Amino acid sequence: MIYYACDIPEYLYYDIERDVWIHFDGDIATLGMTDVAQTRCGKFAAISFRNVGKRVAQGKTLATVESAKWVGPFPAPFSCEIVETNENGFAKDILLANKEPYTDGWLVKVRPTDLENEREHLVTGAEAAEKYKERIKELKVNCLRCID
Amino acid sequence: MSKKIRLLYMEGVSPLRSQTVYHAVGYAMKADTPNTIIMVSPNGPYVSIGYHQDIQKEVDLEYCAQHNLPVYRREVGGGAVFLDNGQLFTQWIFHKEDLPATLEERFKLYIDPLVATYQELGINANLRPINDVHVNGKKIGGTGAAQMGIAEILVGSLMYTFDKKTMSQVLKVPSEKMRDKIFESLEAYMTTMTEQLGSTPDRAMVKDLYMKKVSEALGMDVYEGEWTAEEEAMAQEIDARFTSDEWLYQKGQLHQQGVKIHQDVHIVEAAFKAQGGLIRIIARLREGRIDDITFSGDFTLLPVFALGALEQSLRGVAATPETLKSKIEEAYYRLAIQSPGVTPADFTTAIMNAVTPPQPV
Repeated sequence: MIYYACDIPEYLYYDIERDVWIHFDGDIATLGMTDVAQTRCGKFAAISFRNVGKRVAQGKTLATVESAKWVGPFPAPFSCEIVETNENGFAKDILLANKEPYTDGWLVKVRPTDLENEREHLVTGAEAAEKYKERIKELKVNCLRCID
Repeated sequence: MSKKIRLLYMEGVSPLRSQTVYHAVGYAMKADTPNTIIMVSPNGPYVSIGYHQDIQKEVDLEYCAQHNLPVYRREVGGGAVFLDNGQLFTQWIFHKEDLPATLEERFKLYIDPLVATYQELGINANLRPINDVHVNGKKIGGTGAAQMGIAEILVGSLMYTFDKKTMSQVLKVPSEKMRDKIFESLEAYMTTMTEQLGSTPDRAMVKDLYMKKVSEALGMDVYEGEWTAEEEAMAQEIDARFTSDEWLYQKGQLHQQGVKIHQDVHIVEAAFKAQGGLIRIIARLREGRIDDITFSGDFTLLPVFALGALEQSLRGVAATPETLKSKIEEAYYRLAIQSPGVTPADFTTAIMNAVTPPQPV
């Protein structure tokens, strides 16, 4: 779905409140900032990641993002252990998440530690699209991407 | 939503506390914590660096040690800055639902009372979007934003005075010429209440005026409140972190192009090895144009007066390769410049290396 220029792919899962997308692959989940989140944040200036192997509780910080005007956390949508970060990707191109938030611009890969009890808030498909429409309207966001 | 805003007025706290108080209120914030504004100034000078800066690359630590200037890393972004009692920091710690969703609107809401305060004092201040406050093209304080715990933070200051000389001394820069250029540019493009008014306004009066302007802008009452035991405990925890070497010396990877003076003005520096020698440039860019430029190096350029004339001819020129090259070629022709092994294209490359540094392969 594209709504106010914000792309919300329906094959992904979302933690809408935290503006995080999730792609499950076996027991690993890849996480990134949604188009809405990267737009609100603005052009990345720097990013720092928690260490691989670190266990992070739901809502706590997996990485800290600095844009030209703001610093803030990239939060865990569920409790998890960090198995990989995209540190190398962002070292080569700090704007990865501003250009391709759902592919090259992923932030971390994690192994959920209590997913059964912490997945109720995750949405996907048409439900995600509908809820994001509401959120985009509420936030009055028009999404923008960086290009090369 | 709480309709009242708690004000914590903390003039004359330690330099460390002038930074950790807003982090503490942010991280201690709970659903029932009132939106809070802290007005705080330090009782001594210090240097504050941005969240992702590398202290060893950005700060002249030797100078700071010699002058007993502590350095603290904040959890707000941006660059290194020298701070002292001449600024009254205005720190907002708000629930996110009580602020606009977009950063542009959020900064506007935050900056409006600062601008209104300055204007009532007779200073022609205005918002320079997205987050600067300007007076006739000069900056009178910057602002920043961050999220800490559930709190959204906005920080900035009311600028009574600003020590531009020391600001230019605390930065680690590649050359003293660059430092001189930074100082010159701060003089040209930054201002303070004292400069604008000819004297420093009464601080208690400014505080009351700002509180009134905040209340008007937000449509809420502002009351002087208490710092809680929980916030003090959190501040002590953050004090310890901020003074640890682990926190201070963590490797940052924020890469900034040159030194930002304000939203429209940057100082950049670069070198290029041409066949006929090394060309070094220090340039001040203003809104994408060369505002000022200095060439140096070990190349030969004749006639002797031509280097200054070449620098002069580039003022106001758009910093794009085509425009620069054409302007430099024109100066070469007009001044009959001879520069063995150095061409107009080499000067253009040197400038563009500063404007858009070559990317690592």
